[in-house]
Amino acid sequence: MSKFFLKPSLKTDVVIVGGGVVGCSIARELSKYKVDVVVVEKEVDFCQGASKGCSGIIHPFVTPFNSLKGKLCVEGNKLMDKLTEELDVPFNRCGLLFVSLNRKETFFLFLVYLVMKWRGIQVKFLNKRELRKVEPNLTNKAKCALLFPSGGVISPYELTFALIENAQKNGVKTLLGTKVEEVLVENGEVKGVKTNKGVIETSYVVNAAGLYSDEVAETAGVRNFKIVPRKGCMIVFDKKLRGYYRHYVAEAKIKQDPRTKGGGALLTVEGNPLWGPNLKETGSKEDTSVSRKDIEEIINTYNVLFPDFPLKIITCFAGVRAASEKGDFVIERTKVKGFINVAGIQSPGLTAAPAIAKMVTELLRKEGLKLERKGSFNPYRKRINKLTDYPPEEQDKMIKENPGYGRIICRCEQVTEAEVVEAIKRGAKTLDGVKFRTRAGMGRCQGSFCTPKILEILSRELKIPVKKITKKGGKSLILLYKIKELLKGA
Amino acid sequence: MIERKVDLVVIGSGPAGLAASIKAYKLGLTNQVVIEREKYLGGVLPQCIHPGFGLKYFKEELTGPEFIQRFIDKVEEIGIGTFTDTTALKISRKGEVIAVNKKLGVMKIKSKAVILATGAREKTRWDVKIPGDRPAGVFTAGLVQKLINIEGYLPGKEAVIIGSGDVGLIMARRLTLEGVKVKGVIEIMPYPGGLQRNIVQCLQDFNIPLYLSHAATEIRGRERVERIKIVKVDENLNPLKGTEKEIKCDTVIFSVGLVPENELVSEIGIEMDSNTLGPVVNDYFQTTAPFLFSCGNSLVIFDLVDYVVENAETAAEGVNFYLKKGMKKAEERKVSFNKKIKFVVPQRVTCLKDVSFYLRVKKPEEKVFLSIKEINWRKYFQKIKPNEMVKVNLKREELLKIKGEKITFKLVRKS
Repeated sequence: MSKFFLKPSLKTDVVIVGGGVVGCSIARELSKYKVDVVVVEKEVDFCQGASKGCSGIIHPFVTPFNSLKGKLCVEGNKLMDKLTEELDVPFNRCGLLFVSLNRKETFFLFLVYLVMKWRGIQVKFLNKRELRKVEPNLTNKAKCALLFPSGGVISPYELTFALIENAQKNGVKTLLGTKVEEVLVENGEVKGVKTNKGVIETSYVVNAAGLYSDEVAETAGVRNFKIVPRKGCMIVFDKKLRGYYRHYVAEAKIKQDPRTKGGGALLTVEGNPLWGPNLKETGSKEDTSVSRKDIEEIINTYNVLFPDFPLKIITCFAGVRAASEKGDFVIERTKVKGFINVAGIQSPGLTAAPAIAKMVTELLRKEGLKLERKGSFNPYRKRINKLTDYPPEEQDKMIKENPGYGRIICRCEQVTEAEVVEAIKRGAKTLDGVKFRTRAGMGRCQGSFCTPKILEILSRELKIPVKKITKKGGKSLILLYKIKELLKGA
Repeated sequence: MIERKVDLVVIGSGPAGLAASIKAYKLGLTNQVVIEREKYLGGVLPQCIHPGFGLKYFKEELTGPEFIQRFIDKVEEIGIGTFTDTTALKISRKGEVIAVNKKLGVMKIKSKAVILATGAREKTRWDVKIPGDRPAGVFTAGLVQKLINIEGYLPGKEAVIIGSGDVGLIMARRLTLEGVKVKGVIEIMPYPGGLQRNIVQCLQDFNIPLYLSHAATEIRGRERVERIKIVKVDENLNPLKGTEKEIKCDTVIFSVGLVPENELVSEIGIEMDSNTLGPVVNDYFQTTAPFLFSCGNSLVIFDLVDYVVENAETAAEGVNFYLKKGMKKAEERKVSFNKKIKFVVPQRVTCLKDVSFYLRVKKPEEKVFLSIKEINWRKYFQKIKPNEMVKVNLKREELLKIKGEKITFKLVRKS
């Protein structure tokens, strides 16, 4: 990490605290205007908190409809097609299937159907025969289902990286490994933020600090909400099972835990079946552990839907939802002029993110920020070109132009050296940084083969010794010693 | 794009690939290429710097690099075309191999036959479902072996090894010799997974504790591994209350078995064996796609490289036979076995030649007979264990005694 300290004179119009999908969406939205924006993120990379640990579902709706999250969800869902097209992010509107397994649930589905029709949300009723046709591997206990065609799946990290890359291209500055310690307030107005690397002078602060948004708000003296961390664990299965089902599938349970929509069985955009999340209240904002009980609970829940599913687990992971104790999003101006809270963004935060960005932009305008459109704004970003997306003739051209495409680094996900180098150019500094940008190490061998090769490339490209490379920043070093060092008494 | 026509493509240059290639060359298949994804030939053996290789094949004890060098030297001496740092991306149903290389770009190799010698990958913590945190410091044993012996780095200072497979046992010793404190090897079964000689030479000789009938329950640590939780288990592998224990360490190494790698042919749709996780083959190691042959660890996990070489050479003979005379599929007999046996390879026999069968039992057994009813053959074993592969050689004359379409292996207690 650089030892660079901010000069006391670093000035900007807006500071966004937090580099998750919400902060990066806001940054990208503001980059359409003639304002200076700095995104401050405490981790060494973007998308390290709740955004990374979510399933990637794009919800068609959430209830209550008239809540803030209910409105922003529907709005965000509509914005997703254009956004993902501009940012070249894979997005699969696979549709959400809400399945009934008994007579009570069928009755419940009819009620839901009527409400959705009344609300103007696209929905289709599938009888048992129609359901079997679209999902033949679903349990034969399935009676019928509602299909919400606007439901979909996206890669949350790919979207976040794309947003910030595009924002950077349009002039947004970013400070990684920089922790906001205090929001500086004088006479009820924002004056700046104090970070571990120095002070940034600014009149506007957007608090999108996720799990820590309550602590950031506290330093500004406007803590009117509390973050209640709620853990959700998920299981990822082998890509070979990609054809097993096509939709996002969930059971139409009547007794629903009000704190969650209950998760489901989905297929990630890369083709891995993913089950979950479950829900666990956790005392810790940092607890992303998965227990045996979590694994069993998730398997039991979704085995009901797919009783013969071969349980070829690739990995399990967990995210911590940054829920507010009120349950709804907290997106509002505060009594401190220039300080805006964007907090309590739990599910459907990913779906709502583009709509949240637009809402926050309007709040900033109301707060007095002059927002003038920038003629030079370029909405487009290209994803990292992947060798195996092309036919052999094209592949040959790619290798001739960039020989790095001729060396496969990750055999499971068929990632080439050129893709890893490009990921590093776009900001990856760690093993996880490469993994989440290229998928190298995400496959069935979980990095057993590619780790030495990626360490070599990271070391070469970043010009740092292999021993300094981490998994995800901080003290997460991969290799602690050279051979013979311990024998010499290291 | 480079296009080539050959008689044989060998994918993988480990002991299986090189042995098959050399044998095929000797049989007259000189128009062949070997493809290797690493920068050097040899597969996993260059990183296996311990001795114990070649006792059966060369009748002398060699290290991994010494063993494989003999094959590399031979390949270079006779001038077989090898492509290193080259990855095969696809094999078509007609035997066309697409491979990529930095300098040459895409290579389209049309071949009459393909030998798959792609080896194995290691099972991970998630294959054995060990939950907890996901910090840095969790490795598989083969990865640690490569990091130490090829790259020159040590993962940490205090390690715990989960699973007592051979690679894990060998790494326990290697790490100890490097000054790393190996705090234990955790094995869920009441018996070790690796060879007995490795238990003695790698653990006992270095006073490394082996926790049999113990399960790892959780890995903990925020950034780097901090500790691991273990628990004693009963005969049904259920945890015993009150036996929980924590071991502080900065490194956790998984040695929980290998899985044959056959991703390359998953689209061709050849018949696979759910017990070996490799393809179903006949006694020439020919898969259900006639042009495709399989050998080494991508066929079935062997514990001795000597068997790998032996079976690779037979695969080369099979290719030669296939290309020169063709093979009559109808004459194959199916191999079946009883519940005490985990697998038998090959799964089909042509009865055209003598056959070596490789099999493993599911559980350790004592005083048992391995029998083949159809030919009145049986062999007595005082002890038979899953961690030691059994090889059965049968002469063609004996196999010809089979009347029906089946040949059945049975493991039965001596009564």
